[in-house]
Amino acid sequence: MLFYVFSIIAIYSALMVILSRNPLTSALYLVLCFFAIAGFYVILDMEFLAAMQVLVYAGAIMVLVVLVIMLLNLANAKNIPKDFHQMFIAVISFILLFFEIFLYAIKGSGKVPTGIYTTAFIKTIGNTQIIGEFLFTKYIFPFEVASILLLIAIIGAFIFARRKF
Amino acid sequence: MIFWLISTIIKIIVVFGIILLAAAYLTLLERKIAARIQNRLGPMEAGFHGLLQPIADGIKLFFKEDIIPAEANKALFILAPIIAVIPALVTFSVIPFGAPVKILGHIVPLQITDVNIGILFILALTSLGVYGVVVGGWASNSKYALLGGLRTAAQMISYEISLALSIIGVIMIAGSLSLANIVSAQSHIWFIVFQPAGFLIYLIASTAEMNRVPFDLGEAEGELVAGFHTEYSSMKFAFYFIGEYAQIVVNSAIITTLFLGGWQGPFLPSVIWFIIKVFAVILVYLWFRWTYPRLRYDELMHFGWKFLLPLALANIIVTGFVMILLGK
Repeated sequence: MLFYVFSIIAIYSALMVILSRNPLTSALYLVLCFFAIAGFYVILDMEFLAAMQVLVYAGAIMVLVVLVIMLLNLANAKNIPKDFHQMFIAVISFILLFFEIFLYAIKGSGKVPTGIYTTAFIKTIGNTQIIGEFLFTKYIFPFEVASILLLIAIIGAFIFARRKF
Repeated sequence: MIFWLISTIIKIIVVFGIILLAAAYLTLLERKIAARIQNRLGPMEAGFHGLLQPIADGIKLFFKEDIIPAEANKALFILAPIIAVIPALVTFSVIPFGAPVKILGHIVPLQITDVNIGILFILALTSLGVYGVVVGGWASNSKYALLGGLRTAAQMISYEISLALSIIGVIMIAGSLSLANIVSAQSHIWFIVFQPAGFLIYLIASTAEMNRVPFDLGEAEGELVAGFHTEYSSMKFAFYFIGEYAQIVVNSAIITTLFLGGWQGPFLPSVIWFIIKVFAVILVYLWFRWTYPRLRYDELMHFGWKFLLPLALANIIVTGFVMILLGK
């Protein structure tokens, strides 16, 4: 039941992101979409991910996006000519992604937690600890790669910002 | 099940009512304290020592003409004050305001809900407060409102990081993200003893997060008329005000829960202790406002990024070291 409510909100807001003419409205619909996705995480007993989704995406990244939209005053640029030269790429990626989802829908089966991490165990200690444990043991390499990537992005942003002076 | 449902609904209504009432009467408290600091009397006419002033203000605002600027984005203009109020009110749903009580054989925790990620829930909601200001500033289609909204957005992003980092020390010591557990971890010593730096950073960063003096760059009267709410009138303006004062109450409650031992205290009932502590923190916020002059914009950014943020990071590292040394 809740799943369908969140699905409808997510799909509607995702559609409105690309359909609405006003960039700020688009951005706000994207925030709504993130909320709906956070709702899915809560249904899946992933409160930590849900909170992070809202905190990082809706609370930080989207605020920056809104800030940029306001700074550039994009809302007044209403008569942008429509540009279709990327349509070919869009169609191909749409087909690929749709095929992928289709494949998962047919072949995939519900994954159950394995080993000592049964659902009951996760519920007693909360998934925050388990996520933390796995991030620093089993998945330490991808975690560190992501950190280095972010560090490079920070340095890059700094260099681009410096050029103006 | 039925008992749980009824008790939760009663708790929600009581908390909601008390926060709104507190927000209304905080306006009077603020005016009274400002008056005392400036050696005046403050509101004296409506009721005994101005006790009916918030009600008079409310009636006045209610009957004022509600103006929506012609070129404004109507839907967002109406939505913005609502967005500003909701996060402040919802945050209170995870704050424990008293020891569990026993009613008709059921144990009722005096907290609307105890989610196991309570602190993250609070942080996520406070990070949303910025939308009310930004959207309001943009939808008004006025240059002062836009500038106010922009400034506020930049400021809130900067201080939010220090705000979140200042709490991590508390989480490390308590070893839990649930607010009920954090309160019970403080039964012997309040966390302000272990985390004085974290407490100060949270106090300063939350003042900035609420756009209060000395960080009220978004509504600096001298430069921006009234900042993001320049175009707002009547009840929509009142909503921004309610949001601001409700945030003061909520932030004081968070500080009480995280650093001042929550509802714990000797002799008096737990709810009374909670109210006393929250009131004390509210007074500190009001005191701030009438003591410090407003920061300049570059000073604000320097202070946030070059002082508060490194201090918050250092606080985490020192806390970690000490905890390892003590073998906890």
